[in-house]
Amino acid sequence: MSTSVVGKRIPKVDSRDKVLGTAEYAGDIRMKGMLYGKVVRCMEYSHARVKSIDFKEAMKIPGVIKCLGPKDVTKKGYNTTIMKLLVPEEFCEVFGEIAEMFIFNQHVKYQGDAVCGVIAETEEIAERAADKIKIKYEPLPVYMRASESRKKGAFQFTSLKPGNLAGEFDEAVFPDNAYGWPDADTGKMGDDLESECDVVVEGNFYVPKQKQCQMENHAYVALYDNRGKLHCWTSTQMPKPVQVLLAELFELPMSRMRVFQTVVGGGFGVRLGMIAEPHACAMAMAVPGRPVKVEFLREEDWIASETRFPGNYDMKMGFKEDGTPIFVEANFCADKGGYYTHGNGPVFCAAAFVHGMYKWKTMRQKGQSYFTNNVPSGAYRGYGNPQTSFVQEQLVEEACGKLGIDSIEWRKKWHKSIGDETWLKGVTYASDDLDGCIDLAVKDIKWYEKKKKYAKQKGKKRRGLGIAVMNHTSGAWPMLLEHTVCTAKLNEDCTVELMASISDLGTGGHTAMTQMAADTLGWPMEDIHLNSGDSDVCGFDIGAHASRTVYCAGPAIIEACESVKKQLMERAAQILEARVEDLQMDSKKVISVKGNSKKSVDARLISKQGVYNFFDPVSGKQIGIPGQIQGYSSFLANHCSPPMGACISEVEVDTETGEVKVLELVNAHDIGKAIHPPSVEGQLEGGAQQGLGFVTTEDIYYDENGLCLNSDFTDYKMPGPSDMPKAKIILVETAPDPIAPMGAKSCGESALMGPIGSVANAIADAIGIRFYEAPVTPERILKGIKESGKTFE
Amino acid sequence: MPSSRILPEFELLMPQSVEEAVKLLKKYKAKASVMAGGTDVVVSGTQGFATEAVISLAKVPGLDYVKFSKSGGLKIGALATLQMVADSADVKKNYPALYKSAAINGTPQTRNMGTVVGNVMRASPSGDCACALLALGAKIVFQGPNGKREISIDEFFIDYKKTARKADELAVEIKLPAPKTGVVSAFNRITRTTLDLSKINAAVCLTVSGGVCKSARIAMGAVAPKTIRLIDSEDLLKGQKISDAILDAISASVGSQISPIDDVRSTAEYRREVSPVLVRRTIEEAIG
Repeated sequence: MSTSVVGKRIPKVDSRDKVLGTAEYAGDIRMKGMLYGKVVRCMEYSHARVKSIDFKEAMKIPGVIKCLGPKDVTKKGYNTTIMKLLVPEEFCEVFGEIAEMFIFNQHVKYQGDAVCGVIAETEEIAERAADKIKIKYEPLPVYMRASESRKKGAFQFTSLKPGNLAGEFDEAVFPDNAYGWPDADTGKMGDDLESECDVVVEGNFYVPKQKQCQMENHAYVALYDNRGKLHCWTSTQMPKPVQVLLAELFELPMSRMRVFQTVVGGGFGVRLGMIAEPHACAMAMAVPGRPVKVEFLREEDWIASETRFPGNYDMKMGFKEDGTPIFVEANFCADKGGYYTHGNGPVFCAAAFVHGMYKWKTMRQKGQSYFTNNVPSGAYRGYGNPQTSFVQEQLVEEACGKLGIDSIEWRKKWHKSIGDETWLKGVTYASDDLDGCIDLAVKDIKWYEKKKKYAKQKGKKRRGLGIAVMNHTSGAWPMLLEHTVCTAKLNEDCTVELMASISDLGTGGHTAMTQMAADTLGWPMEDIHLNSGDSDVCGFDIGAHASRTVYCAGPAIIEACESVKKQLMERAAQILEARVEDLQMDSKKVISVKGNSKKSVDARLISKQGVYNFFDPVSGKQIGIPGQIQGYSSFLANHCSPPMGACISEVEVDTETGEVKVLELVNAHDIGKAIHPPSVEGQLEGGAQQGLGFVTTEDIYYDENGLCLNSDFTDYKMPGPSDMPKAKIILVETAPDPIAPMGAKSCGESALMGPIGSVANAIADAIGIRFYEAPVTPERILKGIKESGKTFE
Repeated sequence: MPSSRILPEFELLMPQSVEEAVKLLKKYKAKASVMAGGTDVVVSGTQGFATEAVISLAKVPGLDYVKFSKSGGLKIGALATLQMVADSADVKKNYPALYKSAAINGTPQTRNMGTVVGNVMRASPSGDCACALLALGAKIVFQGPNGKREISIDEFFIDYKKTARKADELAVEIKLPAPKTGVVSAFNRITRTTLDLSKINAAVCLTVSGGVCKSARIAMGAVAPKTIRLIDSEDLLKGQKISDAILDAISASVGSQISPIDDVRSTAEYRREVSPVLVRRTIEEAIG
């Protein structure tokens, strides 16, 4: 009987711990002699200079150990993100990465910027002491939108970035600062071809500053031990790169910098790179020998850790009257927030996913990020793609309406497929079944029947249907480094310990890795354990980003396990005096000669004798073949096998209150092969919830001074379980990717895009009014209805 | 910054009886907050609005009741939770507006902690039970140093978070009149997500006989500094046969009685636009 577990609905390896509450998150850690650190943040201003800091009153509080200001910690500048580890140094310069952040800042660039810190015996004392620190500020002019900070004469955030332009598509890589391709016949680009078009649609969109809202607040424990080694327990998504960044910041060799990734309570990109690891480590270095815990409050998490990139996203498309797509021309001008961090990354990716979707004759997209006085915009699940879904899928729908072409058929005809360029120039699709996804979604929701029915609807409540398709990526090769190292140690009892720094943010990644290892070896899941997160133990891994884990780390696991298997077979061949290719191993780990099951050896004996390799005094020979077996892989990805997907939503719009009820959502995803189907479905359901939040309720608001108005779950509303529609997830496995491990393409980020574009289209379908600003709130809908002069009776 | 994890320092007082609680109130007056479920007091404490003392009712016996009789009406004790009220079949049958305002209030967790009396005492302009009880014509019973005092809820809400409760009084009970033939009620609200505070809410309580409205009470929340009654709209309805024309007139009358503002939950413009719709729908729901 086969023990194969890939594709099976088995329990996740970490579910018992999480369900029983025994999983240890960074916030759960208690250590002997542990102190508490509080980062003191500027709450009164979003842009100011620190004039003075007075610790006197705070230091009087019993239990306060130390107060630290900018002068008491390293003055080295840094960047929380890891671009310089992902691309060659020259590229990093081209992209314009700068290291203008400091542990404690004298120039406050957003509300929540760190100014100083307190270390105390308890968290409570640290909090009380923080309140007693007197900080004087000199206010500076506040710019909340790129449109303000890019004006001539605006205050300059940093001399390194003239005009407050944090980033754009650099001329050296992107001629004319644009991404896309010219028309093959004329060499013209983008809307230079407008005169050839019969139908042109365009829109100026706003996309919101959405917060990740991961369950676990950021938490860290750091210890500078008596041997001069710095340890940091963190909920980061990227333990190995964080190890490198911290070692660099504190000028320590990697051998004296250990990062331990604790159980992560959700990431969604917010933990991509560092957040407050530098603060926790700086505090620990001030009190050698004693661990220091720094744990964010929810409202602190909100104002002081990154968000999705908001901004103005303009797009124009041109078509021939038969529907032939001629050009797409776009510009995404984003509000960067106070620091460079991700630079222009998500703005580029927004363009990249336009690149990967449809067969335009030409595409030209530009993008800029300008500094603003809000918390830096950074990585959030989808990384530019959700913004593109809201903009691109709405305009495609509008165009099809004008052309009088069925938008389902148009998408099927004109989406890119095998052999076409993906999101990145020069990299082509190796698999695709978007048509299959579209057909299944259309059938499941009864698209055509409902469309026909709603065409005749009357009344104050109107229903509508909308579709959106998407392409994403599996890892970020070849743009960014995709490298994972795995060591598979064969224990003496013939079980396996995998050592690889693989992050599971709640995604099921650890389960999928274990399944892949089990199937590679042909052994039960129970015989394999994944040891991850300890930088002292694990080899390199870039961390969880770009939906990469199964696709980029999976092969490292497979290769390391294949190596273990190969070594076992070679030893068996030696013992059985047979050729390796004539041997087989069964699920009970017995290796035998094919067709002669009597000629066999137990792999358990080989494992045991490799370790306990005794000298036989009688024969004068060693018993068994010596040496503990280890498998190893240092895997570099060589493709990005983008998945595609189609999502259809049905909504009901209350035209008197503007309320939108999402009644049903069907998301069909071109997964290739689902390693752990419940996890894939979970990703797609959870992503739908975040997508619905983007399009219906979520945005961070600031007052005129740049102070956040909704930094908690009371004032910032994301849809909860009771708001979720009937959501059906269809896993399409008809196009396993020939390059992907076991055929599996990614699913981590893919789930947000479809719900965003499809709900926006469904709202427009229901009431005949299109909305260009997200979230599409009842306030915006009522205003839109009023301005349109439409009545619904 | 105020901390959502570390409570500010305050004196926690745990009286064992109503009398003891009143004595403490007499001593601390406005320097003390009264805590029943704590779903507001604790949260406002963590937001920097802590009082010097908190008088917890947790150890006061005999206040966690929901009593109903056909002749005497409904009595809700100060420690009756929102969930207890929502679970009462008598409330659901006889006071549908109150039932709904309790059943959708907050989250399942806060419904098990928070109280109906607390929802009224907090006097947030967006309080859901406060709105329903105003329409239903509740009476509030206070215990003070000189004994009990009963007032109509009409006199209770004075201004933004300002009420007729005297600083040394404890609200011990809220009463609703006995159900009468022809009395109907309903409550509705608009929120951003299911688990949310109201952007606006509305409640009505009508006495209808032969299609004619004999008496009407209409309340709205989150459209003014306090929960308000729409007296002009009530006057339009009283003595009239409920028709589309009357409902149109009532809708048209709402605007002049409200003074909504922009905040993080919605805009003044939206509230102004949707208030007439909500009032109309709530009347329609009440009369079925």
